[in-house]
Amino acid sequence: MSKGHDRLKVLTTVGEVFAVAIEFERTARDFYVALAPKVSKSIRYLVEELAEEEQNHFDLFTAMAARADMAGVLAAEIQRPASDRKFSDCVHLPDLGEHPDDQAVLQYALMREHAAMEQYRALADETPAGSLRDLFAYLANEETKHKNELEAVYYDTVHSGGV
Amino acid sequence: MVQDLSDRSQYPARNRDGTLDVDLTSGKYLKLWQGPNHPGITGNMSVELTVCGDEVVEGKTHVGYLHRGFEKLMERRTFIQCFPIVCRICVPEPDFNEYCYAAAVEELAGVEIPEQAKWIRTLILEMGRFNSLMMYLGGQSGSLGLGVIGQWTTYVRDLMLDRFEELTGARIYHMFILPGGVRDTLPEGFDARMEETLREAERTMKDVWNVMFQNAVFRKRTIGVGYINPALFDDYGVTGPTARGGGVAKDVRRDQPYLAYPDLEFEVNVARDSDIYSRADVRRRDALQSIDLIRQILAKMPRTGPVMAKMPNMLHWKIPRGETYIRGECSRGEYGFYVVTDGSGYPRRVNVRGPSYTHAMALLERLIVNCNIADVAALLVSLHTYPPEIER
Amino acid sequence: MPITTVLSPFRAWKFLFQNPVTVRDPLTERPGAPRYRGFHQNDAEKCVGCGTCETICQNGAIDMIDVGLAPKDGDSGLRPRIDYGRCCWCALCVDVCMTGSLSMSNAYTWTDANADAFRFTPGVDKKPWDNDQLGYRRPEGHALHGKDRVEMAELEPEARIGTFDEIVAGYDVARARLEADRCVECGLCVATCPAHMAIPQYIKAVRDGDYERGLALLYETNPFSQVCGRVCTHKCETACAAGHEGDPIAIRWLKRHITDQVPHKDYVRIVGKPKKAAKGEAKTIAVVGAGPAGLTAAYDLARQGHKVVVYEVRKHPGGMPRYGIPEYRLPYDILDADIDVIRAMGVEIKCETRVGSDITMDELKAKNDAVILAIGLHLGRSTRIPGSDHADVRKAVDLLRQVTDEDPVDVPKSLVVIGGGNVAMDIARTMARLQMKAYGEVAVTVTALEDKAHFLADPDEIRECGEEGIDIVDARGPQEVVIDADGRVEGLRTWRVQSIFDAQGRFAPSYDESDERIHPGDMVIEAIGQAAGVDMLGEGLTEALEWNRGRIQVDADGRTSESWLWAIGDCVKGPDVVHAVADGHRAAKSILAAFEGKGDEA
Repeated sequence: MSKGHDRLKVLTTVGEVFAVAIEFERTARDFYVALAPKVSKSIRYLVEELAEEEQNHFDLFTAMAARADMAGVLAAEIQRPASDRKFSDCVHLPDLGEHPDDQAVLQYALMREHAAMEQYRALADETPAGSLRDLFAYLANEETKHKNELEAVYYDTVHSGGV
Repeated sequence: MVQDLSDRSQYPARNRDGTLDVDLTSGKYLKLWQGPNHPGITGNMSVELTVCGDEVVEGKTHVGYLHRGFEKLMERRTFIQCFPIVCRICVPEPDFNEYCYAAAVEELAGVEIPEQAKWIRTLILEMGRFNSLMMYLGGQSGSLGLGVIGQWTTYVRDLMLDRFEELTGARIYHMFILPGGVRDTLPEGFDARMEETLREAERTMKDVWNVMFQNAVFRKRTIGVGYINPALFDDYGVTGPTARGGGVAKDVRRDQPYLAYPDLEFEVNVARDSDIYSRADVRRRDALQSIDLIRQILAKMPRTGPVMAKMPNMLHWKIPRGETYIRGECSRGEYGFYVVTDGSGYPRRVNVRGPSYTHAMALLERLIVNCNIADVAALLVSLHTYPPEIER
Repeated sequence: MPITTVLSPFRAWKFLFQNPVTVRDPLTERPGAPRYRGFHQNDAEKCVGCGTCETICQNGAIDMIDVGLAPKDGDSGLRPRIDYGRCCWCALCVDVCMTGSLSMSNAYTWTDANADAFRFTPGVDKKPWDNDQLGYRRPEGHALHGKDRVEMAELEPEARIGTFDEIVAGYDVARARLEADRCVECGLCVATCPAHMAIPQYIKAVRDGDYERGLALLYETNPFSQVCGRVCTHKCETACAAGHEGDPIAIRWLKRHITDQVPHKDYVRIVGKPKKAAKGEAKTIAVVGAGPAGLTAAYDLARQGHKVVVYEVRKHPGGMPRYGIPEYRLPYDILDADIDVIRAMGVEIKCETRVGSDITMDELKAKNDAVILAIGLHLGRSTRIPGSDHADVRKAVDLLRQVTDEDPVDVPKSLVVIGGGNVAMDIARTMARLQMKAYGEVAVTVTALEDKAHFLADPDEIRECGEEGIDIVDARGPQEVVIDADGRVEGLRTWRVQSIFDAQGRFAPSYDESDERIHPGDMVIEAIGQAAGVDMLGEGLTEALEWNRGRIQVDADGRTSESWLWAIGDCVKGPDVVHAVADGHRAAKSILAAFEGKGDEA
């Protein structure tokens, strides 16, 4: 990821930023698509949902990159950034192995979203005010939303079954 | 005017089987129905009169127009469900039913009601007595054509109904005396408003004295009329003011005190002559006594503490096997509930003993012989009977 | 006659000079008294449609009718309609109203040409007096039924902490009758109870002292009545109408009381013998898992004359009630007594038989007409925080199982539990007892994400934990198991939880990193959640089955996408003993229907 960070830092145009972001989403999607057949069918829905979510991001970013009035749209979104919460169970990148369980998949996904979020946020902080900064902030915001969704799923899955 | 019932020297003669030989085709006799709707009767009841000239030779009472079968209805209702219906047994003086029923089941279930509830019950019973007597005074004078008294007494009765309304939430069927106590305490400012009502009642009672009891017509029509031989009282179950009008000082409140009566001061009102006037006068004094008792109650009653005993769940309250008879002195005499329980959630048998049943049927049939037609209404009212309670 | 009596009546003439006392316009000038019992008012939001007003009305003036509200737990959705042609204004309905929603306005005048207008549903059909402030309200303290729950004797904390003796004593007959007396028989509980037990009827049996009838009623819907009488989650009591203005009826304890009163030897006689299936009609059914769900289904099927074999991996049958619930809440002999009745119906239970290795699902499929999967949730979840893979970081379910099977447990001098549910409380209290036995003192800390107001555990459990000297620290998020230089567990590092729900109300904690604490302990026990061990299905069946968000997909009766296989209980519905029982009944019914369907085809 730090490699991506460095790459993004030297980029100057909105279009290039988008290109990298879209590439991130694509690789993630491909990762989950490849993982799906490896996990037990009982938890396959999780991986499939993650792949779908990444696909949605991919589509979203692609569509946005194609829009002429993008800067204005971004500004509107950034007015109300999604709140970020510290992810709880201190994510460490797990070795997913051959047959990961639901918790491992979720932890990996959370970690990934968290990293992406931090990265865009850091970039936004370093970039002078303008449409580029707005773009980073927007991406950070998107990843935060996604991460929050995943956290809910995580707690629903792992912290359940008790009474 | 002592009636000698054995003297039938004129007519009609008796048949061998003891019935009267009344030949309606002879022209001597006439059948006349008084009622079932007649202004001289508080409620629906009829008297089938056989008259000869203007003299009654035989009177048969016909009741049943108001039979609702309460005693039977109660056998199919839980103990709490009986509570709302008992008051309907006697419309003009409903509270005695509530009290007697509640006291009977409380005794059988071994429930002791709180002190304040006892006093509130006493208060309600005296308010009810006053109202019943107001109705009587209006009826007694009305039966002799003196209509204005009824207007005045209805007015003060209405004021007392206002007090009932603010205390119990209803004017006629109060449904306030529950098994276990009473529903609520006295409302704020009740005493002052009651005092106002009592003063108005006293003023009216003065007018009643002047216009009814001091009235030559009323006196002429009632003194010496409707005499009941006190020797008959026990045989016919005569109680209350009807008996006290004949010099017999019977009063359950004094003889077998209940509720707060042991703590109240009162004299048993008695008159000597056992005629309509005596009975009316006893009731007039009873009304004044009720006013006094209400004042005493309000002055002496406790104002704190619960008004309901701790009761089991009323929805399936079962009362152990047993029987009891609870009596009280209502405005017309002894009122009682005989209740039998069998351990279930329903009364096994309820029998209501009211003075109307005894006074209006057997006694009336005896008194009415040789009575002038014009006096029949006054005689009937002087027994102070309420047909709904006869029939139940 | 003195002359005064002729003159005296003329005093009436004075009224000529007085004003009339009549109220000129009583309809507007004469409101009812503040307590007047006029037309009814009903707060339709507060009303739960329990129908107690209908029950007490001796005139039959009240009908509970459907007003288009959806029924839900604790609310029938019905509302009282009052027929003023019958109403006698006694207000017993107001007095008995369980929620206090029903009252009476002081409005008493109303004219209408249409007689049917006088039959309406207060609070639903809008009326001018709906918001009147005056009128009859039930006086304070006035009630027609008992509001306070009858206390039950239980062991004092000092007496119970050193032992695994059952804490609650159960009602004696006199107290049980007093408690049963409070029930108003509205039946809201029946709708809420997953097994739809005949609660008002068996409570009536307690009142009548007819315990055999009570037991027969219990067994109609629940072969785990003794278990449920102790550890049921008693949703019925949450729905209980008496809970709105007092304590809900102690339904669970009354159920237990019935089972306590009937000698165990009489159970089978009262329940009755199973049916004998007609020749050639008897089917064979395999049940995987001898917990409440599997055994209930087995009981139902065996009672219909079918051959049922239950496969259980552990030493003893009973499932979570045995291996999850500590003995001080549910003594093992009580569970055994329930299972004995089930065995008496002809159910065969094969313990220490692991489906998946000792016998495969394919074999079960081949040998039986139907297979029921009731495997529960026996895999403990881990937080997977750093250090959680240490040998002294244990899962609550595993430890509880060890204690039940009397396998040796190394009792640490101090320990930390992660979790705020009943399992966390169970393990905390179990370990506390073991500590007390071993060291004479308790050193248990329970840390939970939730604040106390949102604990999943029963309030009773939390209270009793406190009484037993267990320290509950709420709103703490686990971050790391602290391990010292020698590789021994030292404690648990946590952050304070700022909030546990997100804007959508989903469980998603956020933390305050600045508020960090280390809870000392030689052992950390995770009690955060459980999962079903579905590996035993085998890969082929796992692929063949349809799944729903991690759980086997079933229809309303528990049937899976494979027509021969039913899956019931905790493993598909989440943890709850009475839900499991209800599931067992549904599956048995569905299997019987399936058998009949097959019979028709043949």
